[in-house]
Amino acid sequence: MWNVPVLAHGALGIWDEVIFISIGVIFLVVMGAAWLKTRALPPELDEPTAPSAAHDAASSTPDRFRLD
Amino acid sequence: MMPPLPPPTAFVWIKRAALAGLLLLLIGTAPVGAHGFIVRAIPENRAVLERAPARVQYWFSEGLERAFSSVTVRDQTGTVIASGGVDDQNNALMTARLPANLPDGAYVAELRVAFASDGHVITETRVFFVGAAVEGVTGSTTVRAEPLEVLWRAASLAAILLLLGIYAVYALALVPAWGSPQHPAGLLPPRVMRRLSAAALAALGAAFAAQALAIVQQGMALFNADVGTTLAQGYWNIARVGTRFGDLWTARLLLLILAAALHGLSLYAWRAQPVLVRPFWVANAWALALVVGTFSAGSHAAGSLLWPWVGIFVDWAHALTVGLWAGGLGALALSLPVALAPYAGEARRLALLAVLNRFSRLAAACLGVVIATGVYSALNWITTPADLTSTAFGGALGLKLLLAAGLVAVGAAHHITLRPERYRRWAAVARRVGNFLPTLRLEAVLAAAVVVAAGLLSATPVPVPETTDQPPLQAQTAVEDYQVALVISPGGLGVNTFDITLTRDGQPASNREVRLRAAQPARDWRGPWEAAEEAGDGLYIAASADIDRPGAWWALVDVIAPGEPPRRAAFAWDIRAEAAVLQSRPPTLLNVAALLAALAAVGWAFYPLAQRVYRRLDLRPAVVTVALGVIFMTALFSIIGVVVVQNAQAQYEATVNPPPQRINPMLPDAASLARGAALYARACPWDSLADHQVLIERLPRTRDEELFAAVSDGWRGLPACDGRLSDDERWDVVNYLRTKELARP
Repeated sequence: MWNVPVLAHGALGIWDEVIFISIGVIFLVVMGAAWLKTRALPPELDEPTAPSAAHDAASSTPDRFRLD
Repeated sequence: MMPPLPPPTAFVWIKRAALAGLLLLLIGTAPVGAHGFIVRAIPENRAVLERAPARVQYWFSEGLERAFSSVTVRDQTGTVIASGGVDDQNNALMTARLPANLPDGAYVAELRVAFASDGHVITETRVFFVGAAVEGVTGSTTVRAEPLEVLWRAASLAAILLLLGIYAVYALALVPAWGSPQHPAGLLPPRVMRRLSAAALAALGAAFAAQALAIVQQGMALFNADVGTTLAQGYWNIARVGTRFGDLWTARLLLLILAAALHGLSLYAWRAQPVLVRPFWVANAWALALVVGTFSAGSHAAGSLLWPWVGIFVDWAHALTVGLWAGGLGALALSLPVALAPYAGEARRLALLAVLNRFSRLAAACLGVVIATGVYSALNWITTPADLTSTAFGGALGLKLLLAAGLVAVGAAHHITLRPERYRRWAAVARRVGNFLPTLRLEAVLAAAVVVAAGLLSATPVPVPETTDQPPLQAQTAVEDYQVALVISPGGLGVNTFDITLTRDGQPASNREVRLRAAQPARDWRGPWEAAEEAGDGLYIAASADIDRPGAWWALVDVIAPGEPPRRAAFAWDIRAEAAVLQSRPPTLLNVAALLAALAAVGWAFYPLAQRVYRRLDLRPAVVTVALGVIFMTALFSIIGVVVVQNAQAQYEATVNPPPQRINPMLPDAASLARGAALYARACPWDSLADHQVLIERLPRTRDEELFAAVSDGWRGLPACDGRLSDDERWDVVNYLRTKELARP
């Protein structure tokens, strides 16, 4: 019978390996998804209202500034 | 427009004094200890025993590294009389068998313990006395300061949280606030990307260096060796492949290599495919989140007596949000000067506000999670107010809280300054903050100090909960010319060891076959016969987990010598639930409330994301009705399933072993068996009948009350025994019949 634990020294019980590896797999999958999503995502950054150095304070939005 | 006032001179001096004070506090804090502790000891420390125990046993709050934990027992002259290690069946139990007939005097058990969850090593001495206490012999706990451990833990945490902060703040604040398609490589100006990339590479280098230090220090701790020996003999590699610490270290290293590879790929793509820089950096935030998780898996929480897995996840959430907050502050402090360098006046203020507004929202969400999860984690260990004031853990926690309070105060000042229209009465605070950069640097320094304090806290021993002295169960009885002594330790629910000492005419009785059985008459239940292993000098040892609930129990010991009839010694015990070794503790109301608060804080942090998901949902009435129906039906069927399974289990238990109508009140000791044998021979003429053998065959699965009914009313071809027998006499016959089970062919 296959009985080779991946992590040999679990201190939290027999589910150590399963939980650790499952979490690792989930995060790596999410990481891959984030990579793909960000790669495909067009940068929705240059909104018409976005101020730059040339804009004055009155036309600015408080959380967007296109850095040159 | 907000005037960029330079900070007053007094303010600068206050800052410098505060930083110096923090530094002194950090240096002055006593670091390092271990996370685990002894939850039960037999014999208790400084116990005075009438006669020598057969063994010493020490139960710990968490599992131990088998290869690196040992116990040595010395007498008062310093001579080693016994040694032992981690129990084969229970990796939280350290045990050593003692020689028989130890003379009166003082004995010292030296424990060297490596805890599995974090690899911490402690040495501890425990004392017990046989006969009378001996003055001047004391136990001790050696909590050695390990500056290397504090160094690698603080450096690791600081580097990894900074890395997490760089990638997360890049994705969540810098690009949304400043991003521009005119900068294809990462959407930020090259000067900003270069600064962040250099900081990330430096943090990666520091993280790798700290990992190298970690495994060497662990090898030194496990083998009690110096650096040179640890490297020359390869002890670090044994620590890597042979311990749980090594498992987590390897996982952390692999993830750091992954993060380094992703960052390297982003550098490679810088010119060739600049559009890929941003995906690599965003993906790296997830890799770093996993790296942070490897610290939580080896944190205090892993050794918690209360829901260890919940503790690990809460600790992980805490570390992640600290990373986003404190690491993010570090990333901002590093990138803002170069990012804002080309700007001045109102443009500079707008650029600063854009990113601070976004980071402020992120930090506010993180702050709630940090506080709630921090409270939960602290309540795992702080159970009384005295734990805060009289333990090193309480001191380290207080230091961390003090620093965190300073961090919150500076963050609040920024929050006020960013929203002058809402906080007009705090205008003086806004003027102090001025152009943000000095206070941002202060906030980053405070954040780094909090991270260092967190490293200290993780290396500080937790408060040990009070445990009541619970001596093992012990009794002695005479059976003919034998003296039979039985010690059950720990004498509670769960796994117990049974030490049976046989003497005959004052001499150890060796070469006997000794069998032991536990029985609970109130349930008419008997465990299997366990063969006791002979340990020499008349000591026979068995272990079983049969005692699984409190109440009145019997322990039956049969001694069989070649050519002699079996001797029976029977002991009656009252097993109490509180005598069990403390392997877990129930949550208090505060623990539950803190967990709910932590969940609420996480929910609040994810509220904007949930809102975005909500806006994308199809909320037509028919769809909502179907969705709610499915959820309701799923919950309903799940509950029904659980109830059905529980009922089935209860019915099975009741069918297999129903509560008896009659409870055997006669302890089946030698006297009862002798009476039963005589009564059976006189009043039950069964031996010559065919069904007698059938009954003997069925004894293992026949209950005492069924035997009682057979004696009273007959069974199949067996007639009832003499009707003049009293109930007690019938039970004596039942006890005697039970002995025929052992005589079966």
